[in-house]
Amino acid sequence: MIRLLLLLALAWPGRAPAQEVPLVAALSQNAVEVTTGFTGTSLMVFGSTEGPIGPGGDEVLILARGPTRPVVVRRKVPVAGVIWVNGPSARFAEVPGFYFLGGTRPAWQVLPEEERQRNRLGLDSLPLTSTGARSPGFRAALLALESSSGLWQEDTAPIEIAGSRLFHARLPLPASVPTGDYQVEVLLVRSRQIVARQQLAFRVDRVGTADRIATVAEDQPFLYGLACILSAALAGWLGSVLFRRG
Amino acid sequence: MQVYLPIAEMSVDAFLLVGIGFGVGWLSGLFGVGGGFLLTPLLILIGIPSPVAVASGANQTLGASVSGLIAQWRRGNVDAKMGGVLLVGGVLGSLGGVQLFALLRRVGQVDLAVSLFYVVVLGTVGGLMVMESLRAILRRRTATKRKLHEHFWMHGLPLKMRFRRSRLYISIIPPFVVGFGIGVLSAVMGVGGGFMLVPAMIYLLGMPTSVVIGTSLFQVVFVAANVTMLQAVQLGTVDILLTMLLLLGGVAGAQFGAAMGTRLRGEETRALLGLLVLSVALSLLWGLLRRPENLFSSGPAL
Repeated sequence: MIRLLLLLALAWPGRAPAQEVPLVAALSQNAVEVTTGFTGTSLMVFGSTEGPIGPGGDEVLILARGPTRPVVVRRKVPVAGVIWVNGPSARFAEVPGFYFLGGTRPAWQVLPEEERQRNRLGLDSLPLTSTGARSPGFRAALLALESSSGLWQEDTAPIEIAGSRLFHARLPLPASVPTGDYQVEVLLVRSRQIVARQQLAFRVDRVGTADRIATVAEDQPFLYGLACILSAALAGWLGSVLFRRG
Repeated sequence: MQVYLPIAEMSVDAFLLVGIGFGVGWLSGLFGVGGGFLLTPLLILIGIPSPVAVASGANQTLGASVSGLIAQWRRGNVDAKMGGVLLVGGVLGSLGGVQLFALLRRVGQVDLAVSLFYVVVLGTVGGLMVMESLRAILRRRTATKRKLHEHFWMHGLPLKMRFRRSRLYISIIPPFVVGFGIGVLSAVMGVGGGFMLVPAMIYLLGMPTSVVIGTSLFQVVFVAANVTMLQAVQLGTVDILLTMLLLLGGVAGAQFGAAMGTRLRGEETRALLGLLVLSVALSLLWGLLRRPENLFSSGPAL
């Protein structure tokens, strides 16, 4: 009750309570450009809340997800006890190419279990259904592989708080991030309940030479193949001419 | 300096690629082979996905062989007729090879197949080369004369054709089969196949040594071009940026290697090359036999 009064008092001089926004968040950029010099980058998610954040106050969670793609996980088995060969495999239909979850505290500490599962907050709550081999080892292996590649991150770094109402977090994108549309969700948690959320989005796109090469290779493979052959031949010929003189 | 490879979709040190190109080019200039058999395993070793490594390796081999072919053509060391027969086989073989490669990729056994092909082919060729050159070095003192070429069952085959440059009158079936086999290997291993073609031409077809290098380069250039095209169209795995970085180092390295190669004797060179080929085969074999650090691997579903 006191807090509510305090909130009202704070908001009073500005605007009417009906338009009240308890959470404002934004991204430092909404387009990430993958050039031939791309080695990974990071985005800043920042914002402010109406009430104080941190111990005893509200909590902020940030969830980011990239475009999904089908992935096959294979397990190596020894054939005749000698040679290691790819054996059983499981196909996961919709695997997010990027997943990030961060919070002022880990999501499992601030939300009830069913609420956390329902909002897909946490790598263990990803709906990864697979066809093929049934063993749960494949799901665990996928988690381990994606985490070690830096594409899936959960609570790798906490959200930083400044002045109890401002928060910011770094969203690290490794060099292997898939291109496409990314969704970022910022959640405000109060007394183990999600009280506000804001949807943000950004795009990862190849640009410049890298984009042109990939586009031509995909759309006009015959032309691209011809270009590869001719440029390799030209480079070889140029090399022999250059070095004969020298 | 990191560079993002658009087809491999990964970031690699550009100097490392130029360096690998230079090293492989140097060795290939020294030994007079394309060097694809060293390049593809090295690319896989630094983390380039096997399909991209194989396709771009074939493309690089094309570039690396062009300058050699031009030089040999000027000296009249290319038997275009023999090259043509080899090439027809090679084109058909690489067509089949790319289909085989696509099938292997679908069932997830590309890495195994590429490694196995390398172990078997390089192991055999390397072993034979070392033995043959050791025998030659030992024989140098005793110096017994051999017949220029011997007649055996192969010479009874039909469809005979006259190859003037090679001074041969033989059936076109053996060169066609040789070309076909090299074409398949070229598509699966990302190599030009010069290191197998040269001995096959000398020992199986009985061609004179003077036209062997030029004619094999003729075949390698066109088969590599065909593999590049097929891989680009069917699998989309040729990375032009990767190829150009490798060629940048490769053409320079080849000149240094060739200059050094003239100072080595033939038998010693072949023994060294055989040892090199054999060690690549052994290291790949070790990769298949040892227990992998991570039993699981993931890849895009096709």
